[in-house]
Amino acid sequence: MIVCVAVVGHQNNPLYIQSFTEADDALKLHHIVHCSLDVVDERVNNPKKSGLTLNETFLGLLYPTENYKVYGYLTNTKVKFILVTTDLDVRDADVRNLRYGIAKFFRRFHAAYVDAVSNPFHVPGKRITSRTFAERVSNIVKSFGLSSAG
Amino acid sequence: MDPVKTPLGKMLLEEITPVVMVLRTPLVEESCLKNSLSFIEMLSPFCDFNNIDVPVRTSSDQPYRLQKFKLRLFYESDIKQPNIMVAKERLKQVITEAGEKDRSDLSTDPPDISNVLESFKSEISPSWFEIFNKELVRTVSFSEHEAFDHPVACVSVVSSKDEQPINKFVDLFNTNKLPSLLNDGAMDPKILKHYVLVHDNKDGPSEKATKILTEMKNTFGFNGCHLLCINSSQDEQIEHQDNPWAPYNFDSSPSQNLGRYLNIDDFNEIKDLIQELSSKHIIPYMEQKVRVLNQQVSATRKGFRNQIKNLWWRKGKEDTPDSSNGSMYTYSSVESQIRVLGDYAFMLGDYELALSNYRLVSTDYKIDKAWKCYAGVQEMMGLTYFMLDQSRKEAEYCMENAFNTYLKLGSSGRQNATRCGLWWIEMLKTKDQFKEAASVYFRICSEELLHSAVMLEQASYCYLLSQPPMLHKYGFHLILSGDRYKKCDQIKHAIRTYRNAVSVYKGTPWSYIKDHVHFHIGQCYGFLGMYDVGVTHMLEVLDCSHQSKATQELFLRDFLQIVQKAGKSFEVLRLQLPVINISSLKIDFEDHRTYASPGSTSVKESVWCSLEEEMIPSLPNARTNWLELQSKLLPKYKESNICVAGEAIKIAIEFKNPLEIPISISSVSLICELSATSDETNSGDHNFNVDTDVSCSTSGIGNNEEHKNLSIILTTANLVFLAHCREIISDTSSFSLSEVNISLGGGEAYLVQLTVTPKVEGILNIVGVRWNLSGSVVGFYSFGTNYGKKKIAKGRRKAKQSPGNCLKFMVIKSLPKLEGFIRALPEKAYAGHLQHLVLELRNQSEFSVKNLKMKTSHPRFLNIGKQEDLDLEFPACLEKKTNVSPPANPKIASNGVFLFPEDLSVQGENLLLWPLWFRAAVPGNISLQVVIYYEMGDLSSGMRYRTLRMHYNLQVLPSLDVSFKISPYPSRLQEFLVHMDIVNKTDSESIQVNQLSTIGSHWEISLLQPIDAIFPSQSLIAGQAFSCFFVLKSCRKSSSTGESTSSLFPHIGSNVSLVPDGSKGAPFDTSNSPLADFHECERLQHGISNQVGNNRMTIKCGVCFLYSAVSVKPYNFVLITLFNQSCNTASTSPISWVVDAPRTRHHDFSTSFCEINFRMTIYNSSNARASIVIKTLDSTSVSDQLRDETSGNQVGWHAMSLAKDIKLESDALRNHVRKSLLPESVSAFIWSGSSSTRVQLKPLSTTEIPLQICVFSPGLYDLSNYVLNWNLQPVDDHENVGERIQSSGTSLGYPCYLTVLPSD
Repeated sequence: MIVCVAVVGHQNNPLYIQSFTEADDALKLHHIVHCSLDVVDERVNNPKKSGLTLNETFLGLLYPTENYKVYGYLTNTKVKFILVTTDLDVRDADVRNLRYGIAKFFRRFHAAYVDAVSNPFHVPGKRITSRTFAERVSNIVKSFGLSSAG
Repeated sequence: MDPVKTPLGKMLLEEITPVVMVLRTPLVEESCLKNSLSFIEMLSPFCDFNNIDVPVRTSSDQPYRLQKFKLRLFYESDIKQPNIMVAKERLKQVITEAGEKDRSDLSTDPPDISNVLESFKSEISPSWFEIFNKELVRTVSFSEHEAFDHPVACVSVVSSKDEQPINKFVDLFNTNKLPSLLNDGAMDPKILKHYVLVHDNKDGPSEKATKILTEMKNTFGFNGCHLLCINSSQDEQIEHQDNPWAPYNFDSSPSQNLGRYLNIDDFNEIKDLIQELSSKHIIPYMEQKVRVLNQQVSATRKGFRNQIKNLWWRKGKEDTPDSSNGSMYTYSSVESQIRVLGDYAFMLGDYELALSNYRLVSTDYKIDKAWKCYAGVQEMMGLTYFMLDQSRKEAEYCMENAFNTYLKLGSSGRQNATRCGLWWIEMLKTKDQFKEAASVYFRICSEELLHSAVMLEQASYCYLLSQPPMLHKYGFHLILSGDRYKKCDQIKHAIRTYRNAVSVYKGTPWSYIKDHVHFHIGQCYGFLGMYDVGVTHMLEVLDCSHQSKATQELFLRDFLQIVQKAGKSFEVLRLQLPVINISSLKIDFEDHRTYASPGSTSVKESVWCSLEEEMIPSLPNARTNWLELQSKLLPKYKESNICVAGEAIKIAIEFKNPLEIPISISSVSLICELSATSDETNSGDHNFNVDTDVSCSTSGIGNNEEHKNLSIILTTANLVFLAHCREIISDTSSFSLSEVNISLGGGEAYLVQLTVTPKVEGILNIVGVRWNLSGSVVGFYSFGTNYGKKKIAKGRRKAKQSPGNCLKFMVIKSLPKLEGFIRALPEKAYAGHLQHLVLELRNQSEFSVKNLKMKTSHPRFLNIGKQEDLDLEFPACLEKKTNVSPPANPKIASNGVFLFPEDLSVQGENLLLWPLWFRAAVPGNISLQVVIYYEMGDLSSGMRYRTLRMHYNLQVLPSLDVSFKISPYPSRLQEFLVHMDIVNKTDSESIQVNQLSTIGSHWEISLLQPIDAIFPSQSLIAGQAFSCFFVLKSCRKSSSTGESTSSLFPHIGSNVSLVPDGSKGAPFDTSNSPLADFHECERLQHGISNQVGNNRMTIKCGVCFLYSAVSVKPYNFVLITLFNQSCNTASTSPISWVVDAPRTRHHDFSTSFCEINFRMTIYNSSNARASIVIKTLDSTSVSDQLRDETSGNQVGWHAMSLAKDIKLESDALRNHVRKSLLPESVSAFIWSGSSSTRVQLKPLSTTEIPLQICVFSPGLYDLSNYVLNWNLQPVDDHENVGERIQSSGTSLGYPCYLTVLPSD
């Protein structure tokens, strides 16, 4: 199950963080997302070491914690998408599958983000407040939960 | 890097060294305690040899020299596995002590992250970690499966005072007291023994001791005995220059007392003892043991044959139950011997030998599944690899293997795993693999909070040290660690970690995390009683609108608690609660422009300016106006705003509560500064400095590179500003401030109105606003920082003002100020509502004002009355009076400015009351402005005049809607039919129409039908409509009386009462003061000139409805409707005429032809004398002459157009008709009498001309074949010069049909 998705700007400033749990765990998820930025930086700075091919936006598994797995995605404008999930036993092949994997999720998430920031009233570098974006993201999350469960 | 020089190498050389067991009698200890030292403590400084330089030969034939050597001394009772609980207590104590020592810099600001990164590695992590880690390693000492903690030698110590010392030596070896390691077979009980006799020189000379020594040597052999004399210094105490015990830090007593009775001889004796023990006994013994064991091992295990045998034998043992605790191996077993061999070789620095033996035994342990032993050997292998500096990978692999194996053992291996982890971490740190080290730290965190807190903190520093620094993880681990510290009540440690975390998150938008850190750090400071620092951190969390309501409550509650505990009020610049919306700042002040009500300031300045334009003396005319006066007085401040002493400056600013919970704010007031004119320069400069400092410091926030410098500036600027504010606040003598208390609910915003009233002349500067949050925290906000965004309410001079000046005022001497309001002006009225109002003016000051003038923006709505109207009774005053006196011309100048009489004085208690007439002219929302201008009686004051601006908003609702249509009355000259539709547009009111009047003398109005017939119900209910017809008759007489009369009585019209007689009093007089004035305004509004003598037949007439709402009796309504409809009559010429002929005539043609007389009435509507010639034409000639012009001379029966205006018909039709008629056109009648008549007609007069025709047969005749030639004679009337008047013309007759029937 996807617990949290986040958009982080190129100066590591949070643009959008949404948790999909009922519990009051905003602080925890903020911490997880914030920590994962280090890993993203590391991946980006040492692309060879982490085995990333050139122009690959999906960063794969950033780091596993006790209860979560954190995945990352980096756009060419250095905006990071972070996904925190509770599915601990996902195979790497499934993750990178563009038809149903997490990579696919990030593609759709990216598209939603692009649409949201294309809004002329959006101030670049500020939090995304668009309600449409929030709805769309929650739809993507819901549909991902269905497809991965099935 | 030499592994020996690394921290881990040093640690290993200290920790993995031979252990010497010390057995002593109580008397020995007693002698030593005179120096505040135990026996071991006394010896331990001398046990560490950095350069022992002893040749060592182990397995190989080549000896090597051992440099670094150390002995570890333990009493027999201490040689056992430490109790876990005791160990824990010990660790906790270490942490607490470290916390106590850390007190120094708790209250300083958290370091900046860039500074942290630049500082040296050693400075980053606190030094007590080393001590802690050492203690942690020691918790697992003396385990059975590791031989390096097993005592190598045993030293028995007996005092010379003991009775029977030889027996004591024997007794000391009583096995009951010996550690279990020796007794239960984990190690060889036959160890090297050494005997020491201690003699205290204070007890007497050493002869007795030497005697005992000889006895000992005889008993135990010559080599193993030794005499140690201590406390040789006689009486005086020795202060050691560099006390050898000082660095050991025994916790009992201050270090200068340590060893006070030991002199230099004693030192040397101890040194010699240990040197001899090490080099002559222990090292050779170990060498010997290594050689022996090596031979044994080689014999049994080395070589191919032995390996096969070993394997075979091991396989046979496979079925034995798995026992992991290692007790299955006794000291005599081969495995234990190999381990001992390895450990001894390690301690003697022969790492190659150690490694080969560890390797050998590790496979054995693995096959035996003796996991603990296996892990221990793996651990040692890793360390040996490290010391050999050979294979890093191997070393790390071994450490990881050992670590994981220990972890697999569960709780029993936990502590070993911790030690192994620490060593592993040190290994990784040596190789700068900080990230990996951090993850190991994370792995050795246990459930125990305090332990994991320390580990997490160490992990965080590793993240900081890694390249590149992983700041996010650094912060995260610091917070995790801080949380654990806080839970364990290690508050100081918690503060340290949180403070470091603050530097990571400072300036980032991760508000949730920041709030968390600041909140906890604030709480921690609160626990410590450092409330000041606590409050500064708590202030950061106040603006937590993104948090949940519960969290907000928690934050605010704890904040207030800490503030209360601090027991003083805090003054905070930029307190974040509530939020101040600086863009809402609005300043209302009064210079020469004064305002009657607060709402007046919302009207645009341009509106007022256009109203005042005609009243205010313009610059070139008035040479001594106040502006020039001012610039002469104070040339420097001509750009700043002016205000008057004693008059309040109002500031409105919005306070917004960002939280969901209510907050209460009290004592909101402005911070102002008023400097007398003399020292204005000083204070001005001072302000300027503060302003610039503050603004530059705030503008730079968020710029990371300059963060450090800026934060310093910010704090100093804050201090300066706060000090400045305090100074200002204390000085309130020269002005007074208002205070406001508000309570803001969740998410509420409130526009706070504040005032400052200067009392003396000078320069007033409004610096900011202060408030008190929940009675405990005083917030300051400086307006100075956000000048750019601010809005000035009265921006007449906005363009040229420098932004800083809009909060700076020049206070001038107090002046008279008029206050005024209009009594009982309704806010809502129906259209046409008429009311008598009174304007009240008051002057509070002693000085008089003069030259009052007044102007209203909407004269249609508000008309200025005459002074005598003041006491009129309304509405009775509207009724027609018998003696109509000509109204005095009110003093209204051409542009609508009303001049009050000169002799009026408004001063002190004297009120000036002036009547006003109000009439709601048109429906809609009306913004009504009234400006009163007045001049100062005292010319020496700073201003010459002031204006009072009054502003009212009115809502006018529609009442009656009247539409009309005017058509000429057929066949009557100068009379018109008016069709009028009246609709009641009100929501619920019933309206009764009382009276209908025309305004002006030119028209008379009358009903076509009696009112009862058309309007029986007498009142219109809401939404009802009705229509009626009126006849409007022009009653203009010839202007023989002259123009003067008409201008004197311009508004005397005629009335029609629409109610049955008797139900109403006298009709209202529409020609009198208020109504006539309003009519005038309506005319002006519609652009109709008063001049009615227009030549065109345009009906311009005012009609006045007087009506009243039935339910709202007291109100009276007047609706003035202007007819301004150009009515297209038959002729557009100034001459009009009507042929007044009978329609039908019966005549007996058998007797004679018929003679018909009729009249033509001609009217000259021009102001010129006209001469008119009427030519009657015979039909034949007409048809030829005026084919194109005549409208036809048709005779006989034919279809006739009903349209009155023949010109509307198309020419084609007309021609067709004419042509069809022409063949049979025989003139059926002839004009009799003269064929041409000439008349002279005076202006605006009528005349009648008799005409006669003769008809010869019955038929339908058109009497239109005549021509009217008219010629206007020019009059020397200059008024008409501008108008183009047709001076002559020819008009054709218009059809007039006459039917002649034969009579029977």
